[in-house]
Amino acid sequence: MSLYTMLSTMADGMLKTCAIFFLTVLFSMPLGMIVMLLRRSKIKPVQWIVKIYIAVMRGTPLMLQLLAWYFGPYYLFGWSIRGYRFTAIILGFTMNYAAYFAEIYRGGIESIPNGQYEAAEVLGYSKIQTFFKIILPQVIKTILPSVTNEVITLVKDTSLAFALAYSEVFALAKQIAASQTSFTPYVVAGVFYFIANYVVAFVMERIEKAFNYYK
Amino acid sequence: MKKVLCLLLALTMLFSLCACGAAVKENAGTKPAEADATDAPEAEAQDAKFVFLDEDLGVETYAIGFRKGEEELANTVSGAFKALVLDGTYEQIGSKYEDIKDYLCLKAEDIDPADLPERGSGDSSFTFKHGFDLDYPPYSFRKDDGSVGGFDVEMCQAVCDYLGWGYEPVPFNWEAKDMELNAKSCDCIWSGFTKEGREDMYTWGVTYSNNTQGILVAADSGIKTLADLAGKVVGVQIDTSAAELLADDQKALADTFAELKTYETYTVAYNDLKAGAIDAIAIDMTAGTYLVSTAS
Repeated sequence: MSLYTMLSTMADGMLKTCAIFFLTVLFSMPLGMIVMLLRRSKIKPVQWIVKIYIAVMRGTPLMLQLLAWYFGPYYLFGWSIRGYRFTAIILGFTMNYAAYFAEIYRGGIESIPNGQYEAAEVLGYSKIQTFFKIILPQVIKTILPSVTNEVITLVKDTSLAFALAYSEVFALAKQIAASQTSFTPYVVAGVFYFIANYVVAFVMERIEKAFNYYK
Repeated sequence: MKKVLCLLLALTMLFSLCACGAAVKENAGTKPAEADATDAPEAEAQDAKFVFLDEDLGVETYAIGFRKGEEELANTVSGAFKALVLDGTYEQIGSKYEDIKDYLCLKAEDIDPADLPERGSGDSSFTFKHGFDLDYPPYSFRKDDGSVGGFDVEMCQAVCDYLGWGYEPVPFNWEAKDMELNAKSCDCIWSGFTKEGREDMYTWGVTYSNNTQGILVAADSGIKTLADLAGKVVGVQIDTSAAELLADDQKALADTFAELKTYETYTVAYNDLKAGAIDAIAIDMTAGTYLVSTAS
């Protein structure tokens, strides 16, 4: 197999990997915000449920969760799972990453000293104004490095989608490696992940700089 | 103190990187030297670098697995398969795959032409979902042009063509094969699928190939018999017949090994063997021959 054929075959897998990545980031970051708000809710039962959710999502392997999302509907309810594969993958990744993002957001919010809320109140800010005008901009600044970490992990975690027979780039690398008995496909996959993560890190650094207005 | 520690860490990293570089260089350096050597014995050793031991671990047969209780589907597919043996398609597809043509066990003279389904007798609105593993050359794998192929894939396509069914490939993750089958995301497991030891777990279609499990060693390793494997490190791929044999029928043999290493794919095991990290690989003859013949 020529390098060109290998690359063009794997290009399809790269697109599929990117699809998982972008959809997961798109859905899990806002969902993480909601989870975080519920986690900080004053109603105890809501807090407990969210705590259990986070514990399960963080405490079990993502691969297992993907299998559960995909095969669960069939084994539990007997529903047909034809054409459901991709949805299950996005669902699995989103729910898992939302839990992590929620905890990152929470860490950011709880790092803001209480004095700032009091000062805002004295200055006549409403609760919503305080959150969006004073708290949130600072939170975004502090959590950005952790978010970058998580997003980079996500790029590499996309390879777990092969548990559901989704031909992303690493699955293709394994298949080509088996038929060609060579390590070249793994190198190609490695370079792909590295470039993808480099782009992520670069973009995140730019965003960090944009928020660095006090320096 | 911290600075010293940092410096030390950085140095260790640098050294480990250097070591990597040196190893690569060394390899690159020896290769041309090998190519230059034109002595006959040297070239011969190159030819037969890895060989199978004369003693084997056991014989197994490959068949098509269906969900339990789906006799009708199994019979239709098996019937069409047999019809393709009669008209020569089976042999013709087999001849494309050097490594397995000797292992195809169905013979046209053994087949009773009565009771076989007619060409085009299937329901044309039905799509047959073929579940297989793409990591398993030469039965099912990615071909040189990047497309999906292999003996099992071509045979299944021929069966669907014969019956007039649609064909849908479902390349799955081998460990999830039963979940995929039971959840009906595929209709069969047809991927060099060993029948032995699984007789009661599926409804079986036609048995179309047999295979021998053997031990692959370096020709100059000095290992000649199964008994020589005592105290050696042997590699095997997870969830294969070779792995099952060593855990079951050949357990006594496996106990004599220094270690039985389980790999996710044979490709990695083979590279370990080439690098001398392990002494032998337990693998079926077709896959082993394929590895040795294609590995660069």
